[in-house]
Amino acid sequence: MAVCKACNAELPKNARLCPKCGTKVYQPPKNIRILAIVGAVIAIIGGLLPFIQNAETVKDAYSYMSYLNNKNYAYPNHEILWYFFMLALVATCIIVVVKKEVFSIITTVIAGIIFALTMNDLKTFLAEPQYTIGFGTYVVIFGLVLAVAGCFFDILKYRKTIQYDTRYFTNNKSTWSRMVNHKWFYLMFLPVLIFILLFNYWPMLGIRYAFTDYVKLPVYVGIKHFHKMATKDTYFWMAFRNTLELSILKLFLNTSMAVIISLLLHEITNIHFKKTVQTIIYLPHFMSWVVVAAIFRMILTTSESGIVNQILVNLNIIEEPVFWMGTNETWRPVYYIINIWKDTGWGTILFLATLSGISPELYEAAQIDGANRWNRMRYITLPALANTIITVFILNLAKVMNLFESVFVLMNDAVIEVSNVIQTYIYTQSFSGVPNYGYTTAVGLFKSLVGCVLVLGCDWASKKVRGRGIV
Amino acid sequence: MSNVNKKKQKVKVFPIFNTVLFIVISLIILIPIWKVIVDSLDASAGYGMRLWPNQFTLDGYKMVFTRSALYRPFLISCLVTISGCFLGLLLSTLGAYVLIQWEMPGRSFFAYMLLFTMIFNGGMIPTYLVIKQLGMLNTLWAVILPLSINVYNLVLMRNFFEGIPASLFEAASIDGCSPIGIFFKVVLPLSKAALASIGLMFAVAFWNDYTNFKIYVTKNSLYNFQMKLRGLIMDGDVPQTGDKISDNTIQNVTIIVAIIPFMIIYPFCQDYFVQGVNVGAVKE
Repeated sequence: MAVCKACNAELPKNARLCPKCGTKVYQPPKNIRILAIVGAVIAIIGGLLPFIQNAETVKDAYSYMSYLNNKNYAYPNHEILWYFFMLALVATCIIVVVKKEVFSIITTVIAGIIFALTMNDLKTFLAEPQYTIGFGTYVVIFGLVLAVAGCFFDILKYRKTIQYDTRYFTNNKSTWSRMVNHKWFYLMFLPVLIFILLFNYWPMLGIRYAFTDYVKLPVYVGIKHFHKMATKDTYFWMAFRNTLELSILKLFLNTSMAVIISLLLHEITNIHFKKTVQTIIYLPHFMSWVVVAAIFRMILTTSESGIVNQILVNLNIIEEPVFWMGTNETWRPVYYIINIWKDTGWGTILFLATLSGISPELYEAAQIDGANRWNRMRYITLPALANTIITVFILNLAKVMNLFESVFVLMNDAVIEVSNVIQTYIYTQSFSGVPNYGYTTAVGLFKSLVGCVLVLGCDWASKKVRGRGIV
Repeated sequence: MSNVNKKKQKVKVFPIFNTVLFIVISLIILIPIWKVIVDSLDASAGYGMRLWPNQFTLDGYKMVFTRSALYRPFLISCLVTISGCFLGLLLSTLGAYVLIQWEMPGRSFFAYMLLFTMIFNGGMIPTYLVIKQLGMLNTLWAVILPLSINVYNLVLMRNFFEGIPASLFEAASIDGCSPIGIFFKVVLPLSKAALASIGLMFAVAFWNDYTNFKIYVTKNSLYNFQMKLRGLIMDGDVPQTGDKISDNTIQNVTIIVAIIPFMIIYPFCQDYFVQGVNVGAVKE
């Protein structure tokens, strides 16, 4: 017999809520819904492939299907079918998500029929691939098969797990009536949805330019850009290496400095002094990178107002003023120091919050046992802090590829070898001279993919380490 | 006996060392800022470190508020910050409120839809092309709208909202309050701290925005203060004065003007900022 985790009461068979304390105990059975969705999404991507290959408009993109049906292009208006095809697939996704798998079979099959209708001349398609979407067709076929298979699996699963004890259901209303109940919430979500679609999802469609030469109009070139990136473009690899080196070393330095400073700050007993120090070290965080760059440019110049050079020359450490920001050897150390100056203070917030949560009794007990300051730090403070350190590390590791503004405002042409990162590379390639948006999109896509892997890896690590994901 | 003495000394040394260390750290942070402040008040700035201005003058600050080349960017920054902050808060509260409706069909779909944008994005150029297609290039829309939907802040807001007891919502709806009524009469008044904390985050982001202006705005008359400051420092694009103040003074004045709004607000709102950071990462 199952037992409620919260109150240890015995549970009736298939209960969703504990009858005694009301805690949720029901775990929905994991079914293969994901298979249906993946199938539908693959089919959607396959349906979008003609865009990449042919042109910008649906009409042109769909002309390959028209061509197959009528070689003289007499009836080129098949594009309406394309809309239906995509609509059916999107409907499949939505239906599967709201757990009405039975109906998703219908939409998927409809999508399949439409596809078959437009592709009825498969022989010609195979014989003359120059008019086709290449492997796009296979992608669509594979996706549709997967979607249908997924839906069937779901129905089988669904039948097996249908018998619940309905008395303990939290909500046995139908989906539709719950949707009607929540109609105002859908209205409230609408603005967010519009913004997300406009500024986050629409740009994702622009990834198709990565497979085109886009100077004035996009022209399909396949994976030419990726080939160029992998083999010829040394600047790209330099930028990639710089991105990793700069942001990972920066992350290490910032985090370790923040840990040291918060450990020491925690030892300060005078509340007012501590509060003042905190206020001061948080200050630089509110300055924009432009301001920080301006301030340090003035401090580090070679002219008389550059106090760093003046002091070092007066102390006879260096012979004559060094152009700190314009020399390959000094740019990186300066960059790290500026980063530490700006962000270390802000980074201590989380550590200080954790430190203030450690029970003082632990320290007292340790003191009675004769532990000195170092031992107390070694055996009490650091273990308590370890989890937060890992958290901060993981959260920031996910952002490694996004390095842009800090480098962009501090770099200059003289130090491009050590400072150019992927984002600045994309920027300078896209907004100077005659840009090929296709190539820079490809570089951006590479950056996004690496970033995606990093985020997912960090999320996985985060779940392992602290039991919850990044957000 | 000598051993005991040694121990006593050790205990005393550390706090003193610690205090001195933090005074030094504070100075390292403050000295660059102090230099900028002093130079901004000095008519002949640009000669190393001074503790106090040599030729005290407020002409630099007067210029910022009399020259349209300088006060126009300042006003644009204010406009973008205020409108962006408002829009950002509206979108994140609406989205967060919908995301805590556990019974709503499609809630998890919306949640995953939002989360996916954190994992993957189109990149700089596709976004630029979308903004171009929308006809937003060289308008302030291009810098306000894309930045005002911030999924991270939305999730943060949701974390705050989850702390509101569900019984309050039930009570309000039993009393006949519509969902929108609950939103304005229960949720928003109860989360003033969250609004302040996330609103400040938006304000900092919009005030300090340089990247979006750099990419989407090429018209000089639409530059915000950060862009203007960058031009002043890097290209020496200093407005001709005819007064007796050096270019360096004007540069320092613009730096101060660029940071002054948050330097004034921040000490009073420090707790809200700190709270925002902690809710984002530590909340279990």
